[in-house]
Amino acid sequence: MLRLWPLRQVVSSAGARFIPACQKSTAPEPAPELVEVFVNDKQVFVEPGTTVLQACAVAGIEIPRFCYHERLSIAGNCRMCLVEVERSAKPIASCAMPVMKGMKVKTDSPVTKKAREGVMEFLLMNHPLDCPICDQGGECDLQDQSMNFGSDKSRFTDIAFTGKRAVEDKNVGPLVKTIMTRCIHCTRCIRFASEVAGVEDLGTTGRGNEMQVGTYVEKMLQSELSGNVIDLCPVGALTSKPYAFTARPWETRKIESIDVMDALGSNIVVSMRTNEVMRVLPRVNEDINEEWISDKTRFAYDGLKRQRLTTPFLKDANGQLMQTDWESAFLAIARKLQGVEGSQMAAVAGGLVDAEALTSLKDLMNRLGCETLCTEEIFPMDGSGTDFRSNYLMNTTIAGVEEADVVLFIGTNPRFEAPVFNARVRKSWIHNDLKVAMIGAPVDLTYEYEHLGETVDVIEKLAGGNHPFCKVLESAKRPMVVMGSSCLQRSDGSALHFMVSTLANRVKAASGADAEWRVLNVLHRVASQVAALDLGYSAGVSGVREAKPQMLFLLGADEGAITRSDLADGAFVVYQGHHGDQGAQMADVILPGAAYTEKDATYVNTEGRAQLTRQAVTPPGMARNDWKVLRALSELLGVTLPYDKLQEVRQRMAEISPTLVRVGEIEEANFFKQAIEATKAGKTSLGKEPLVPPQQVLKDFYMTDSITRASPTMAKCVQAATEAESSVH
Amino acid sequence: MASLSRLSPAIGMVRSQALAPLSTAVRTNTTAPPKKEKTKFGPLSDEDRIFTNLYGRHDWKLKGAISRGDWYKTKEIVEKGHDWILKEISTSGLRGRGGAGFPTGMKWGFMNKPSDGRPKYLVVNADEGEPGTCKDREIMRHDPHKLIEGCLVAGRSMNACAAYIYIRGEFYNEASNLQLAVKEAYDAGLIGKNACGSGYDFDIVVHRGAGAYICGEETALIESLEGKQGKPRLKPPFPADVGVFGCPTTVANVETVAVAPIICRRGGDWFAGLGRERNRGTKLFNISGQVNNPTTVEEEMSIPLRELIERHAGGVIGGWDNLLAVIPGGSSTPLIPKDVCNDVLMDFDALVQAQTGLGTAALIVMNKNCDIVRCISRLIDFYKHESCGQCTPCREGVTWMMKIMHRFTSGNARPEEIDMLYELSKQIEGHTICALGDGAAWPVQGLIRHFRPVLEQRMADYGQQKKATG
Amino acid sequence: MSKYIEKISRLFRIIKENGGVLGSVRTVFRMEELKTGTLVGEDELGNKYFHNPMYFVGRSRWVVYSDAAGHDYDGSQVPAEWHRWLSYISDETPDKADLPKYPWLAKHTENQSGTPQEYVPYSTTRPKIQAWKPKTEEVYRKHF
Repeated sequence: MLRLWPLRQVVSSAGARFIPACQKSTAPEPAPELVEVFVNDKQVFVEPGTTVLQACAVAGIEIPRFCYHERLSIAGNCRMCLVEVERSAKPIASCAMPVMKGMKVKTDSPVTKKAREGVMEFLLMNHPLDCPICDQGGECDLQDQSMNFGSDKSRFTDIAFTGKRAVEDKNVGPLVKTIMTRCIHCTRCIRFASEVAGVEDLGTTGRGNEMQVGTYVEKMLQSELSGNVIDLCPVGALTSKPYAFTARPWETRKIESIDVMDALGSNIVVSMRTNEVMRVLPRVNEDINEEWISDKTRFAYDGLKRQRLTTPFLKDANGQLMQTDWESAFLAIARKLQGVEGSQMAAVAGGLVDAEALTSLKDLMNRLGCETLCTEEIFPMDGSGTDFRSNYLMNTTIAGVEEADVVLFIGTNPRFEAPVFNARVRKSWIHNDLKVAMIGAPVDLTYEYEHLGETVDVIEKLAGGNHPFCKVLESAKRPMVVMGSSCLQRSDGSALHFMVSTLANRVKAASGADAEWRVLNVLHRVASQVAALDLGYSAGVSGVREAKPQMLFLLGADEGAITRSDLADGAFVVYQGHHGDQGAQMADVILPGAAYTEKDATYVNTEGRAQLTRQAVTPPGMARNDWKVLRALSELLGVTLPYDKLQEVRQRMAEISPTLVRVGEIEEANFFKQAIEATKAGKTSLGKEPLVPPQQVLKDFYMTDSITRASPTMAKCVQAATEAESSVH
Repeated sequence: MASLSRLSPAIGMVRSQALAPLSTAVRTNTTAPPKKEKTKFGPLSDEDRIFTNLYGRHDWKLKGAISRGDWYKTKEIVEKGHDWILKEISTSGLRGRGGAGFPTGMKWGFMNKPSDGRPKYLVVNADEGEPGTCKDREIMRHDPHKLIEGCLVAGRSMNACAAYIYIRGEFYNEASNLQLAVKEAYDAGLIGKNACGSGYDFDIVVHRGAGAYICGEETALIESLEGKQGKPRLKPPFPADVGVFGCPTTVANVETVAVAPIICRRGGDWFAGLGRERNRGTKLFNISGQVNNPTTVEEEMSIPLRELIERHAGGVIGGWDNLLAVIPGGSSTPLIPKDVCNDVLMDFDALVQAQTGLGTAALIVMNKNCDIVRCISRLIDFYKHESCGQCTPCREGVTWMMKIMHRFTSGNARPEEIDMLYELSKQIEGHTICALGDGAAWPVQGLIRHFRPVLEQRMADYGQQKKATG
Repeated sequence: MSKYIEKISRLFRIIKENGGVLGSVRTVFRMEELKTGTLVGEDELGNKYFHNPMYFVGRSRWVVYSDAAGHDYDGSQVPAEWHRWLSYISDETPDKADLPKYPWLAKHTENQSGTPQEYVPYSTTRPKIQAWKPKTEEVYRKHF
């Protein structure tokens, strides 16, 4: 229904008539003539089609609102934004009314004030006075606005006779807590679910005063973005279940940081109190996550408090890991490394490691004479491999989807591998007529797409131009091909990559996109991969398997890519990381490191955008920042690394790859032709198996790395999602 | 709720003030060619009667309808084209019969903007649910062909490709008759492909609602027709831009549509010869409540209220002096007490002057035997039950008003709460998405305006009774 | 003169009662005191209790801890009933006094502070960080 064609046609043809804010794409439009509006006699010029509320914002006046939200469609039902407009008999809802020429808006006239006060009185009539026990207290729109615009006393005399309305709470899963008596029926959550998240789970039942917001039947809100309704809810009707009754917003310190649960690098705010992460909230970044974050980003923080490595461990004579101190752990490593050749060593970096630690580890191992440094995540290294940055980046950028007109997904399920990116695609699909096609196992992406097939021969056909869909791709002006890094984990990954690159180049040449438009995109799954490839790590652990090393250094490698059987007998394994997971269990020495909320570190997202996390809390116990651990270890090994301060590490990073220190920016990478030429085709042949992304349904989404595996909330989510699958609803 | 959105002249005023060009159009529309104005209105002579089978004494099917003059030269009317039809409708001075009284010719003219490729629709609002109103059902069950022919003519005037008749779910017999009549018309080639042999294709679909008063609001009706919850949409965009299924749509009342063919046949001047200036033509009046002979009758506009009641409804029970108050335009309009009723005319402008409205011209008569507070309280119960719950003032405010009115009925309140209630009703009025909030607020305002002493007396009585019983 | 003779003879008697010169040296080393008195009783732990009214009150009753305690004795090794006599709460020794015996009376324990049995109040607050514990037992079973 959201893609009703006539509506869009009206929007596109009339243009100026009625464009909700949420439908504005980032695509540049020809500058239309501006409309003159007066806000409290202050003259402002705005684009036609802007709402009165936006025009007031331009004039620097904020209109109170509950239902209106910039990124959602306009409901206009809270009536809080009523303003007086000259020559209009009744106040108008400024969120919905487009500006007209010469309109005179009065935002602090008696009529406006009276209207606001009246609406506020009605809202409070049935709103419980439970602010002292409400989790929204202190960040509640209703509190704030009733202070600013409400009356100073209540006239609700009926409290003595019939009282207020009470509504039964609903169970919508382990993440969102509902106290429905507090609901003011703004329908933001409903609009978010149906428009952004793409699930039709939420809606209203009943009418009039008995209207209730809910899921119609009792069931889980089955969305990977469900936590955002907590932020959207202007009152305390929807709050966070794990955060319930733990902290007040004014008690916490807010630290701006970056998320590492997927490769998007969503911008977050970490709320901290007494050296404990209390919650994670999204931070606006129009280029990446707008203002949404996935449930994993938001709720996995309790995983940072469980299964943590707080002291170094050392295997004793019985082969048991025993707690020890830093000195003994370092000395044990130094003793073991005596007489081990550099070629007998290897290092594997996991998915949550920051660029500073990667740099330090690489420098350390290189100084020891070791060149076998790998990442756990596989990426084809044949041919041009990772030599050209454009081979492994999301070149179109996340925001670039809004300019694209055709997207072809290959072997990925963006809904769970990059939920916020998927929401962007959905937004584009709704408002910009984006056409989506997919090769791989059919999954629910929350929007319609053309399913071209599951096997790789479809890509071959497309690359060869013998597929009906080629016409669509060729007629596209700005096509995108998005390849999931999960499909490159296969044995025929390099052939697949070559085939997709060929396809992308063909599409680009045929489509007539301009030279700067980049077609090929790789959607990574883990946060560290791009930085690791930038730093010259080789992707995949095949090198380790070939070398059968005597000594293995695992830096946060917890996915079990390497087991003891891949190593020489009696090999010495050092694990450095923050969680006791697969890597720690197989180690001889464990060095406790810091998680992403505990260090200032650089992560590079799938677009190639370097971003900084900020330290919110101190690492627990004896754990230390990873690069510092490596720096200290290097001293005992006699190969002291030449940096003592974070700035010096970053200088070293800049020497290796300047992109790593250009925070927040994307470097242009456009070497597709050269990449194809450098790659020799047909080294390995394409497999026959279908492309199946590892995360297919919601329950696969929640536990994907060592932090989420340690999180009790995520475990509850998996359980709830599994139950929801078998539910009749 | 026959088009509550267009209920009050006040809203019409709002529109004409908000849209500058509109107000001028109103003036040109109603400035009829100078001629001698009548001073006496009604009773309607039989040859000017439009709905000749209002009481179902004759055959309602196609044969009977043709014998009464329906479908006569419809082909010629359709072939004359939309400009001619619009001109006749404009000349006639017909105002929407659903409540708001918006000039029909202008409204239908909105649809004749250059096409952008989307089809256009006529939607007939047959969701007649306003308490006291029972005019459309008489048309649909006794004269359905008038409506069907009207759909064709009105559809032609805006070049619509189809008409949806959204009929109230409770109207089972009416929907049956209407559906049969539509089938007859299809079979006779009067509508459908090449309607009446005019070369114009026009379809009519009867859609039954599910029983919500709010679905009589035009945008809620559109939502309901699309299969969604019947909740009013925000305007702008108006239905003439984005209506049903995203296409330009005009929503018109049954009576408005049904009188269109006869206006075209007899000429707009004939219609304009009836009633006062700006209030032309004939109108179906529903008279209910404490009268001797409740009835629905077609009368000339601007007939005096007293004459209407005494001539057609057999007078108020207990005589005219026993009259307490009249709600003149369906439950949404404020009541008027007897002294106003004595000489008020039944038309849009006269009733606005009396601080009420013509609405759907459904008179609810209350004599001195009735408990006026309880009557209004019951109306608020109705609005509370039918509020869609979408926007705050209506959802919360009407419930609050209901709670207070319940206490006023017994007198369990303080006199200062009367002012509070009046203020609350003012806080609802004009602050909602649709006009249901206004419709709920006005009866209360009318009550307080005219019967404040009754309320105060009741509170005093209650206080004394309480004191006496301890 | 007889005063001095009496003092000297008492010294000799004390030395004799404490097991000669060597015994006396040992006693002084252990108890830092050399006294003489009548043995009034012995408790179940082997502590011996002496009384000599010749010393002024406060020093006239004392305990010689059992040899089992060695040098590691302290006041808490005195059971409550003997503590009653020793601290002049009563003049009757426990075996003379008819002390009530209740089934709920716990056996006397000495102060456990500084030993592994000492009482440590536990925190009722939730630990902020739950540390990882290696699966040692499994490893142990696998290897041995």
